[in-house]
Amino acid sequence: MKADGLLAVLDRWGRATLPGAVLLFFVLLTLAPLRAPYLSDALPLLPALVVFQFSLATPERLPGPLLLAMGILLDLLLGGPGAPVGVSALGFVLIRAAVVANRRYLVGVPFLFQWFGFCLLSLGFVILVWGFTALWTWTAIDPVPALIQYVVVVVIYPLIAPWLARVRARDPLNVPEPSRGTARPGETTS
Amino acid sequence: MAIRDEFEVAAGQVRAAVQRFALGLLVIAAFGAMLVGKADTVLVEHARVLALDLASPVLEAIARPVAVANRTIADLKEFASLREENARLREENARLLAWQTAARRLENENEGLRGLANFREGPEASFITARIVGDSVSAYVRGALLNVGRRVGVAPGQAVVTGEGLAGRIAEVGDNSSRVLFVTDVNSRLPVLIERTRERAILAGDNSSQLRLTLLQSLQGVQRGDRIITSGHGGSFPVGIPVGEVVGTGEGHVRVRPFADFSRLEFVRVVDYGVTGLVSGPQGTPSTPSGVAGQRVR
Repeated sequence: MKADGLLAVLDRWGRATLPGAVLLFFVLLTLAPLRAPYLSDALPLLPALVVFQFSLATPERLPGPLLLAMGILLDLLLGGPGAPVGVSALGFVLIRAAVVANRRYLVGVPFLFQWFGFCLLSLGFVILVWGFTALWTWTAIDPVPALIQYVVVVVIYPLIAPWLARVRARDPLNVPEPSRGTARPGETTS
Repeated sequence: MAIRDEFEVAAGQVRAAVQRFALGLLVIAAFGAMLVGKADTVLVEHARVLALDLASPVLEAIARPVAVANRTIADLKEFASLREENARLREENARLLAWQTAARRLENENEGLRGLANFREGPEASFITARIVGDSVSAYVRGALLNVGRRVGVAPGQAVVTGEGLAGRIAEVGDNSSRVLFVTDVNSRLPVLIERTRERAILAGDNSSQLRLTLLQSLQGVQRGDRIITSGHGGSFPVGIPVGEVVGTGEGHVRVRPFADFSRLEFVRVVDYGVTGLVSGPQGTPSTPSGVAGQRVR
Protein backbone atom coordinates (compact mmCIF):
# COMPACT_ATOMS: atom_id res chain seq x y z
CA MET A 1 0.00 0.00 0.00
CA LYS A 2 1.31 3.37 -0.98
CA ALA A 3 1.86 5.92 1.76
CA ASP A 4 -0.41 8.91 1.26
CA GLY A 5 0.62 12.50 1.39
CA LEU A 6 -0.95 14.91 3.82
CA LEU A 7 -3.16 16.43 1.15
CA ALA A 8 -4.46 13.04 0.10
CA VAL A 9 -5.29 12.17 3.71
CA LEU A 10 -7.05 15.49 4.18
CA ASP A 11 -8.88 14.95 0.93
CA ARG A 12 -10.08 11.52 2.00
CA TRP A 13 -11.16 12.80 5.39
CA GLY A 14 -12.95 15.70 3.79
CA ARG A 15 -14.83 13.41 1.47
CA ALA A 16 -15.74 11.02 4.26
CA THR A 17 -17.05 13.71 6.58
CA LEU A 18 -18.65 16.03 4.04
CA PRO A 19 -22.18 14.56 4.08
CA GLY A 20 -22.25 14.47 7.87
CA ALA A 21 -20.97 18.04 8.07
CA VAL A 22 -23.55 19.29 5.57
CA LEU A 23 -26.28 17.55 7.52
CA LEU A 24 -25.06 19.13 10.77
CA PHE A 25 -25.03 22.53 9.08
CA PHE A 26 -28.64 22.13 7.97
CA VAL A 27 -29.66 20.90 11.42
CA LEU A 28 -28.21 24.10 12.90
CA LEU A 29 -29.66 26.21 10.10
CA THR A 30 -33.09 25.00 11.22
CA LEU A 31 -32.67 27.31 14.21
CA ALA A 32 -31.45 30.35 12.29
CA PRO A 33 -33.90 33.19 12.82
CA LEU A 34 -34.36 33.75 9.10
CA ARG A 35 -37.53 35.69 8.38
CA ALA A 36 -37.80 35.09 4.66
CA PRO A 37 -41.44 34.42 3.88
CA TYR A 38 -42.20 30.74 3.14
CA LEU A 39 -38.54 29.73 3.13
CA SER A 40 -38.27 29.88 6.91
CA ASP A 41 -41.31 27.60 7.11
CA ALA A 42 -39.43 24.93 5.23
CA LEU A 43 -36.21 25.08 7.28
CA PRO A 44 -37.18 22.27 9.70
CA LEU A 45 -37.63 19.87 6.77
CA LEU A 46 -34.33 20.65 5.03
CA PRO A 47 -32.35 18.09 7.08
CA ALA A 48 -34.73 15.42 5.77
CA LEU A 49 -33.99 16.64 2.24
CA VAL A 50 -30.26 16.35 2.89
CA VAL A 51 -30.69 12.83 4.25
CA PHE A 52 -32.67 11.84 1.17
CA GLN A 53 -30.21 13.32 -1.28
CA PHE A 54 -27.09 11.91 0.33
CA SER A 55 -28.71 8.52 0.79
CA LEU A 56 -29.11 8.51 -2.97
CA ALA A 57 -25.53 9.52 -3.58
CA THR A 58 -23.39 8.03 -0.83
CA PRO A 59 -25.34 6.11 1.83
CA GLU A 60 -22.06 4.60 3.09
CA ARG A 61 -20.86 8.00 4.23
CA LEU A 62 -24.11 8.67 6.08
CA PRO A 63 -24.29 5.64 8.37
CA GLY A 64 -27.39 4.88 10.43
CA PRO A 65 -25.91 5.70 13.85
CA LEU A 66 -24.88 9.15 12.57
CA LEU A 67 -28.44 9.77 11.37
CA LEU A 68 -29.73 8.65 14.75
CA ALA A 69 -27.47 11.13 16.52
CA MET A 70 -28.35 13.99 14.13
CA GLY A 71 -32.07 13.31 14.47
CA ILE A 72 -31.88 13.34 18.24
CA LEU A 73 -29.84 16.56 18.13
CA LEU A 74 -32.45 18.15 15.86
CA ASP A 75 -35.25 17.12 18.21
CA LEU A 76 -33.38 18.39 21.25
CA LEU A 77 -32.70 21.76 19.62
CA LEU A 78 -36.03 22.29 17.95
CA GLY A 79 -38.55 20.65 20.21
CA GLY A 80 -40.50 22.42 22.87
CA PRO A 81 -41.32 20.89 26.22
CA GLY A 82 -43.06 17.56 25.86
CA ALA A 83 -42.17 17.04 22.20
CA PRO A 84 -40.88 13.56 21.40
CA VAL A 85 -37.08 13.32 21.24
CA GLY A 86 -36.03 10.83 18.59
CA VAL A 87 -38.88 11.05 16.14
CA SER A 88 -36.74 12.86 13.56
CA ALA A 89 -34.06 10.21 14.13
CA LEU A 90 -36.62 7.54 13.34
CA GLY A 91 -37.69 9.44 10.24
CA PHE A 92 -34.10 9.91 9.01
CA VAL A 93 -33.27 6.23 9.49
CA LEU A 94 -36.42 5.18 7.65
CA ILE A 95 -35.75 7.60 4.78
CA ARG A 96 -32.25 6.18 4.36
CA ALA A 97 -33.52 2.60 4.49
CA ALA A 98 -36.25 3.34 1.97
CA VAL A 99 -33.82 5.03 -0.42
CA VAL A 100 -31.23 2.26 -0.15
CA ALA A 101 -33.88 -0.42 -0.69
CA ASN A 102 -35.19 1.39 -3.79
CA ARG A 103 -31.97 2.64 -5.31
CA ARG A 104 -32.89 0.78 -8.47
CA TYR A 105 -35.77 3.19 -9.03
CA LEU A 106 -34.06 6.31 -7.74
CA VAL A 107 -30.44 6.30 -8.93
CA GLY A 108 -29.57 7.02 -12.52
CA VAL A 109 -33.14 7.90 -13.41
CA PRO A 110 -34.51 11.22 -14.69
CA PHE A 111 -34.66 13.97 -12.11
CA LEU A 112 -38.46 13.95 -12.09
CA PHE A 113 -38.47 10.42 -10.69
CA GLN A 114 -36.17 11.47 -7.87
CA TRP A 115 -38.40 14.43 -7.16
CA PHE A 116 -41.40 12.16 -7.06
CA GLY A 117 -39.56 9.81 -4.71
CA PHE A 118 -38.74 12.72 -2.46
CA CYS A 119 -42.40 13.83 -2.50
CA LEU A 120 -43.50 10.41 -1.28
CA LEU A 121 -40.81 9.92 1.35
CA SER A 122 -40.99 13.42 2.79
CA LEU A 123 -44.78 13.12 3.01
CA GLY A 124 -44.21 9.96 5.04
CA PHE A 125 -41.72 11.85 7.21
CA VAL A 126 -44.11 14.75 7.83
CA ILE A 127 -46.96 12.40 8.72
CA LEU A 128 -44.70 10.41 11.04
CA VAL A 129 -43.50 13.48 12.93
CA TRP A 130 -46.99 14.99 13.08
CA GLY A 131 -48.51 11.72 14.28
CA PHE A 132 -45.95 11.11 16.98
CA THR A 133 -46.01 14.70 18.21
CA ALA A 134 -49.80 14.62 18.45
CA LEU A 135 -49.68 11.26 20.20
CA TRP A 136 -46.91 12.25 22.58
CA THR A 137 -48.41 15.54 23.68
CA TRP A 138 -51.95 14.13 23.42
CA THR A 139 -53.30 17.22 21.74
CA ALA A 140 -55.01 17.66 18.42
CA ILE A 141 -52.33 19.54 16.48
CA ASP A 142 -53.45 21.53 13.49
CA PRO A 143 -51.92 19.70 10.50
CA VAL A 144 -52.08 22.72 8.17
CA PRO A 145 -48.71 24.29 9.17
CA ALA A 146 -47.03 20.90 8.72
CA LEU A 147 -48.58 20.56 5.27
CA ILE A 148 -47.46 24.08 4.31
CA GLN A 149 -43.92 23.09 5.37
CA TYR A 150 -44.21 20.01 3.21
CA VAL A 151 -45.39 21.88 0.13
CA VAL A 152 -42.64 24.50 0.46
CA VAL A 153 -39.87 21.92 0.84
CA VAL A 154 -41.17 19.94 -2.13
CA VAL A 155 -41.18 23.10 -4.23
CA ILE A 156 -37.63 24.12 -3.28
CA TYR A 157 -36.26 20.60 -3.71
CA PRO A 158 -35.16 21.23 -7.33
CA LEU A 159 -33.20 24.28 -6.16
CA ILE A 160 -31.17 22.49 -3.50
CA ALA A 161 -30.94 18.88 -4.64
CA PRO A 162 -28.70 19.34 -7.74
CA TRP A 163 -26.34 21.37 -5.63
CA LEU A 164 -26.09 18.58 -3.03
CA ALA A 165 -25.86 15.95 -5.74
CA ARG A 166 -22.53 17.40 -6.91
CA VAL A 167 -20.91 15.51 -4.06
CA ARG A 168 -21.29 12.38 -6.17
CA ALA A 169 -19.93 13.64 -9.45
CA ARG A 170 -16.40 14.25 -8.19
CA ASP A 171 -16.15 11.21 -5.99
CA PRO A 172 -13.57 8.58 -6.99
CA LEU A 173 -15.32 6.07 -4.73
CA ASN A 174 -18.08 5.87 -7.30
CA VAL A 175 -15.79 3.89 -9.56
CA PRO A 176 -16.53 0.18 -9.10
CA GLU A 177 -14.27 -1.56 -6.62
CA PRO A 178 -12.16 -3.79 -8.94
CA SER A 179 -11.20 -1.05 -11.34
CA ARG A 180 -10.38 1.54 -8.71
CA GLY A 181 -6.80 2.68 -8.84
CA THR A 182 -6.09 1.34 -12.29
CA ALA A 183 -8.19 3.92 -14.11
CA ARG A 184 -6.21 6.70 -15.73
CA PRO A 185 -7.33 10.29 -15.71
CA GLY A 186 -10.07 10.80 -18.26
CA GLU A 187 -10.82 7.13 -18.53
CA THR A 188 -14.41 6.10 -17.95
CA THR A 189 -15.79 2.84 -16.70
CA SER A 190 -18.80 1.09 -18.09
CA MET B 1 -5.02 -21.86 9.22
CA ALA B 2 -8.32 -23.71 9.47
CA ILE B 3 -9.07 -22.01 12.79
CA ARG B 4 -8.42 -18.66 11.24
CA ASP B 5 -10.72 -19.42 8.37
CA GLU B 6 -13.45 -20.50 10.74
CA PHE B 7 -12.98 -17.36 12.73
CA GLU B 8 -13.28 -15.26 9.63
CA VAL B 9 -16.41 -17.13 8.60
CA ALA B 10 -17.94 -16.58 12.03
CA ALA B 11 -16.97 -12.89 11.99
CA GLY B 12 -18.50 -12.58 8.58
CA GLN B 13 -21.70 -14.15 9.82
CA VAL B 14 -21.87 -11.78 12.76
CA ARG B 15 -21.24 -8.84 10.45
CA ALA B 16 -23.97 -10.04 8.10
CA ALA B 17 -26.40 -10.46 11.01
CA VAL B 18 -25.67 -6.96 12.31
CA GLN B 19 -26.11 -5.57 8.82
CA ARG B 20 -29.36 -7.44 8.35
CA PHE B 21 -30.77 -6.20 11.63
CA ALA B 22 -29.14 -2.76 11.45
CA LEU B 23 -32.37 -1.06 10.47
CA GLY B 24 -34.29 -2.85 13.22
CA LEU B 25 -31.68 -1.90 15.81
CA LEU B 26 -31.72 1.74 14.70
CA VAL B 27 -35.51 1.88 14.82
CA ILE B 28 -35.48 0.33 18.27
CA ALA B 29 -32.87 2.87 19.36
CA ALA B 30 -35.03 5.74 18.08
CA PHE B 31 -38.07 4.40 19.91
CA GLY B 32 -35.89 3.91 22.97
CA ALA B 33 -34.87 7.57 22.84
CA MET B 34 -38.52 8.60 22.64
CA LEU B 35 -39.50 6.40 25.56
CA VAL B 36 -36.60 7.61 27.67
CA GLY B 37 -37.66 11.16 26.84
CA LYS B 38 -41.17 10.42 28.01
CA ALA B 39 -40.12 8.61 31.17
CA ASP B 40 -37.21 10.76 32.35
CA THR B 41 -38.06 14.36 31.60
CA VAL B 42 -35.24 15.68 33.79
CA LEU B 43 -32.62 13.85 31.74
CA VAL B 44 -34.10 15.21 28.51
CA GLU B 45 -34.18 18.69 29.99
CA HIS B 46 -30.45 18.44 30.78
CA ALA B 47 -29.74 17.13 27.29
CA ARG B 48 -31.74 20.00 25.75
CA VAL B 49 -29.86 22.58 27.80
CA LEU B 50 -26.53 21.01 26.87
CA ALA B 51 -27.42 21.00 23.16
CA LEU B 52 -28.56 24.61 23.47
CA ASP B 53 -25.33 25.72 25.11
CA LEU B 54 -23.28 23.94 22.46
CA ALA B 55 -25.28 25.32 19.55
CA SER B 56 -25.66 28.90 20.71
CA PRO B 57 -22.10 30.10 19.85
CA VAL B 58 -22.54 28.78 16.31
CA LEU B 59 -25.95 30.39 16.08
CA GLU B 60 -24.61 33.65 17.43
CA ALA B 61 -21.96 33.63 14.73
CA ILE B 62 -24.56 33.33 12.00
CA ALA B 63 -27.10 35.59 13.71
CA ARG B 64 -25.62 38.80 12.30
CA PRO B 65 -25.56 37.78 8.64
CA VAL B 66 -29.05 36.40 9.12
CA ALA B 67 -30.16 39.70 10.66
CA VAL B 68 -28.73 41.58 7.69
CA ALA B 69 -30.62 39.29 5.32
CA ASN B 70 -33.81 39.81 7.30
CA ARG B 71 -33.38 43.57 7.26
CA THR B 72 -32.87 43.53 3.50
CA ILE B 73 -36.07 41.54 3.04
CA ALA B 74 -37.97 43.89 5.35
CA ASP B 75 -36.54 46.95 3.56
CA LEU B 76 -37.64 45.64 0.20
CA LYS B 77 -41.12 45.11 1.55
CA GLU B 78 -41.26 48.56 3.10
CA PHE B 79 -40.10 50.40 -0.01
CA ALA B 80 -43.39 49.55 -1.61
CA SER B 81 -45.45 51.34 1.02
CA LEU B 82 -43.07 54.11 2.07
CA ARG B 83 -45.38 57.02 1.36
CA GLU B 84 -48.44 55.64 3.14
CA GLU B 85 -46.29 54.49 6.04
CA ASN B 86 -44.88 57.99 6.43
CA ALA B 87 -48.29 59.61 6.50
CA ARG B 88 -49.55 57.05 8.98
CA LEU B 89 -46.56 57.57 11.27
CA ARG B 90 -46.93 61.37 11.21
CA GLU B 91 -50.53 61.06 12.26
CA GLU B 92 -49.68 58.54 14.95
CA ASN B 93 -46.88 60.76 16.21
CA ALA B 94 -49.26 63.68 16.69
CA ARG B 95 -51.66 61.46 18.56
CA LEU B 96 -48.93 60.01 20.76
CA LEU B 97 -47.60 63.46 21.67
CA ALA B 98 -51.01 64.29 23.08
CA TRP B 99 -50.92 61.05 25.02
CA GLN B 100 -47.44 61.84 26.31
CA THR B 101 -48.67 65.07 27.82
CA ALA B 102 -51.53 63.23 29.44
CA ALA B 103 -49.20 60.51 30.73
CA ARG B 104 -46.80 63.07 32.26
CA ARG B 105 -49.64 64.80 34.05
CA LEU B 106 -51.06 61.49 35.31
CA GLU B 107 -47.66 60.25 36.44
CA ASN B 108 -47.14 63.35 38.56
CA GLU B 109 -50.62 63.10 39.96
CA ASN B 110 -50.17 59.37 40.64
CA GLU B 111 -46.89 59.95 42.44
CA GLY B 112 -48.46 62.60 44.60
CA LEU B 113 -51.40 60.42 45.48
CA ARG B 114 -49.16 57.45 46.26
CA GLY B 115 -47.16 59.63 48.57
CA LEU B 116 -50.35 60.70 50.32
CA ALA B 117 -51.67 57.14 50.63
CA ASN B 118 -48.33 55.64 51.68
CA PHE B 119 -48.66 53.07 48.87
CA ARG B 120 -46.08 50.28 48.75
CA GLU B 121 -45.29 48.92 45.33
CA GLY B 122 -44.19 45.32 44.65
CA PRO B 123 -40.55 44.47 44.02
CA GLU B 124 -38.92 46.44 41.27
CA ALA B 125 -38.19 44.65 38.03
CA SER B 126 -34.88 44.78 36.23
CA PHE B 127 -34.42 43.92 32.58
CA ILE B 128 -31.87 41.75 30.83
CA THR B 129 -31.58 42.61 27.18
CA ALA B 130 -31.01 39.65 24.91
CA ARG B 131 -30.50 38.97 21.24
CA ILE B 132 -32.54 36.27 19.58
CA VAL B 133 -29.96 33.91 18.11
CA GLY B 134 -32.25 31.12 17.02
CA ASP B 135 -35.83 30.42 16.17
CA SER B 136 -37.37 27.27 17.43
CA VAL B 137 -40.38 27.70 15.25
CA SER B 138 -41.75 24.70 13.45
CA ALA B 139 -45.18 23.30 12.84
CA TYR B 140 -45.20 22.16 16.46
CA VAL B 141 -43.34 24.73 18.54
CA ARG B 142 -43.35 28.50 18.83
CA GLY B 143 -40.23 29.74 20.55
CA ALA B 144 -36.79 31.27 20.23
CA LEU B 145 -33.28 30.93 21.59
CA LEU B 146 -31.63 33.78 23.47
CA ASN B 147 -27.94 34.48 24.00
CA VAL B 148 -28.30 35.01 27.75
CA GLY B 149 -28.44 32.38 30.43
CA ARG B 150 -27.93 31.60 34.08
CA ARG B 151 -24.70 33.64 34.19
CA VAL B 152 -26.59 36.93 33.94
CA GLY B 153 -29.49 35.86 36.09
CA VAL B 154 -32.01 34.37 33.70
CA ALA B 155 -34.25 31.78 35.35
CA PRO B 156 -37.10 29.60 34.11
CA GLY B 157 -40.50 31.24 34.28
CA GLN B 158 -39.35 34.83 33.79
CA ALA B 159 -41.34 37.01 31.44
CA VAL B 160 -39.91 37.98 28.05
CA VAL B 161 -41.14 41.28 26.63
CA THR B 162 -40.70 43.32 23.51
CA GLY B 163 -41.40 47.00 23.03
CA GLU B 164 -45.00 46.20 22.15
CA GLY B 165 -45.86 43.72 24.85
CA LEU B 166 -45.34 40.27 26.27
CA ALA B 167 -43.62 37.76 24.01
CA GLY B 168 -43.46 34.69 26.23
CA ARG B 169 -41.70 33.13 29.16
CA ILE B 170 -38.34 31.45 29.70
CA ALA B 171 -38.70 27.68 29.44
CA GLU B 172 -35.16 26.32 29.63
CA VAL B 173 -31.94 27.94 30.79
CA GLY B 174 -28.36 27.00 30.02
CA ASP B 175 -25.21 28.76 31.16
CA ASN B 176 -25.15 31.21 28.26
CA SER B 177 -28.36 30.47 26.45
CA SER B 178 -32.03 30.06 27.11
CA ARG B 179 -35.18 29.10 25.31
CA VAL B 180 -38.28 31.28 25.21
CA LEU B 181 -41.68 29.73 24.78
CA PHE B 182 -43.87 32.26 22.98
CA VAL B 183 -47.39 32.95 24.22
CA THR B 184 -48.65 31.50 20.95
CA ASP B 185 -47.18 28.05 21.68
CA VAL B 186 -49.64 25.26 22.30
CA ASN B 187 -48.11 24.69 25.75
CA SER B 188 -48.48 28.29 26.88
CA ARG B 189 -51.05 29.15 29.59
CA LEU B 190 -51.02 32.65 30.98
CA PRO B 191 -53.09 34.20 33.80
CA VAL B 192 -54.37 37.54 32.49
CA LEU B 193 -56.75 40.39 33.24
CA ILE B 194 -59.12 42.14 30.89
CA GLU B 195 -57.98 45.71 31.38
CA ARG B 196 -61.38 47.39 31.15
CA THR B 197 -63.42 45.01 33.32
CA ARG B 198 -60.60 43.68 35.56
CA GLU B 199 -61.95 40.21 34.92
CA ARG B 200 -59.50 37.33 35.32
CA ALA B 201 -58.94 34.79 32.61
CA ILE B 202 -56.47 32.32 31.18
CA LEU B 203 -54.86 33.01 27.82
CA ALA B 204 -53.83 29.92 25.92
CA GLY B 205 -51.84 29.50 22.71
CA ASP B 206 -52.57 26.99 19.99
CA ASN B 207 -49.56 27.43 17.65
CA SER B 208 -51.56 29.78 15.43
CA SER B 209 -50.96 33.51 15.23
CA GLN B 210 -53.85 34.26 17.60
CA LEU B 211 -54.52 33.34 21.20
CA ARG B 212 -57.54 31.83 22.87
CA LEU B 213 -59.04 33.44 25.97
CA THR B 214 -60.62 31.09 28.47
CA LEU B 215 -62.65 33.03 30.95
CA LEU B 216 -62.88 31.99 34.52
CA GLN B 217 -66.15 33.82 35.05
CA SER B 218 -68.53 34.79 32.29
CA LEU B 219 -68.15 35.60 28.66
CA GLN B 220 -70.30 38.68 28.95
CA GLY B 221 -68.68 42.04 28.90
CA VAL B 222 -65.78 41.18 26.63
CA GLN B 223 -65.75 43.42 23.60
CA ARG B 224 -63.67 43.69 20.49
CA GLY B 225 -60.67 45.89 21.12
CA ASP B 226 -60.41 45.12 24.83
CA ARG B 227 -56.80 45.08 25.95
CA ILE B 228 -55.49 42.00 27.74
CA ILE B 229 -52.74 42.43 30.35
CA THR B 230 -50.88 40.03 32.62
CA SER B 231 -52.51 39.58 36.01
CA GLY B 232 -49.33 38.67 37.87
CA HIS B 233 -50.97 35.66 39.46
CA GLY B 234 -48.80 32.64 39.96
CA GLY B 235 -45.28 33.90 40.32
CA SER B 236 -42.60 35.77 38.55
CA PHE B 237 -44.69 37.81 36.14
CA PRO B 238 -45.15 41.52 36.84
CA VAL B 239 -48.67 42.90 36.75
CA GLY B 240 -49.89 44.83 33.76
CA ILE B 241 -47.64 43.87 30.88
CA PRO B 242 -49.79 44.31 27.78
CA VAL B 243 -50.32 41.01 25.96
CA GLY B 244 -52.82 41.60 23.21
CA GLU B 245 -56.23 42.81 22.21
CA VAL B 246 -59.50 41.02 21.60
CA VAL B 247 -60.17 40.68 17.89
CA GLY B 248 -63.18 38.41 17.87
CA THR B 249 -65.77 37.01 20.23
CA GLY B 250 -67.70 33.91 19.33
CA GLU B 251 -69.62 31.12 20.95
CA GLY B 252 -67.62 30.02 23.97
CA HIS B 253 -64.30 31.42 22.83
CA VAL B 254 -62.59 34.75 22.50
CA ARG B 255 -59.72 35.31 20.05
CA VAL B 256 -56.86 37.61 21.03
CA ARG B 257 -54.20 39.09 18.77
CA PRO B 258 -50.82 39.41 20.55
CA PHE B 259 -49.17 42.85 20.46
CA ALA B 260 -45.70 41.40 19.98
CA ASP B 261 -44.78 40.98 16.32
CA PHE B 262 -43.15 37.56 16.30
CA SER B 263 -42.17 37.80 12.66
CA ARG B 264 -39.60 40.51 13.24
CA LEU B 265 -38.18 39.96 16.69
CA GLU B 266 -34.48 40.64 17.00
CA PHE B 267 -33.97 41.83 20.56
CA VAL B 268 -36.11 41.10 23.60
CA ARG B 269 -35.94 41.90 27.29
CA VAL B 270 -36.13 39.30 30.01
CA VAL B 271 -37.94 40.70 33.04
CA ASP B 272 -36.08 39.82 36.18
CA TYR B 273 -38.75 40.30 38.76
CA GLY B 274 -39.23 39.39 42.38
CA VAL B 275 -36.60 37.94 44.68
CA THR B 276 -34.05 37.17 41.99
CA GLY B 277 -34.34 40.72 40.71
CA LEU B 278 -33.44 42.14 44.09
CA VAL B 279 -30.50 39.90 44.89
CA SER B 280 -28.47 39.14 41.80
CA GLY B 281 -27.53 40.61 38.48
CA PRO B 282 -24.90 43.22 37.64
CA GLN B 283 -26.74 46.44 38.30
CA GLY B 284 -26.15 49.81 36.80
CA THR B 285 -23.47 48.58 34.42
CA PRO B 286 -23.43 50.08 30.97
CA SER B 287 -24.59 47.77 28.24
CA THR B 288 -21.93 45.76 26.47
CA PRO B 289 -21.63 45.74 22.67
CA SER B 290 -23.32 42.36 22.48
CA GLY B 291 -26.39 43.90 24.07
CA VAL B 292 -26.18 41.86 27.25
CA ALA B 293 -26.75 44.00 30.27
CA GLY B 294 -28.36 43.86 33.61
CA GLN B 295 -29.65 47.38 33.73
CA ARG B 296 -32.11 48.17 36.40
CA VAL B 297 -35.07 49.95 35.04
CA ARG B 298 -37.92 51.22 37.07
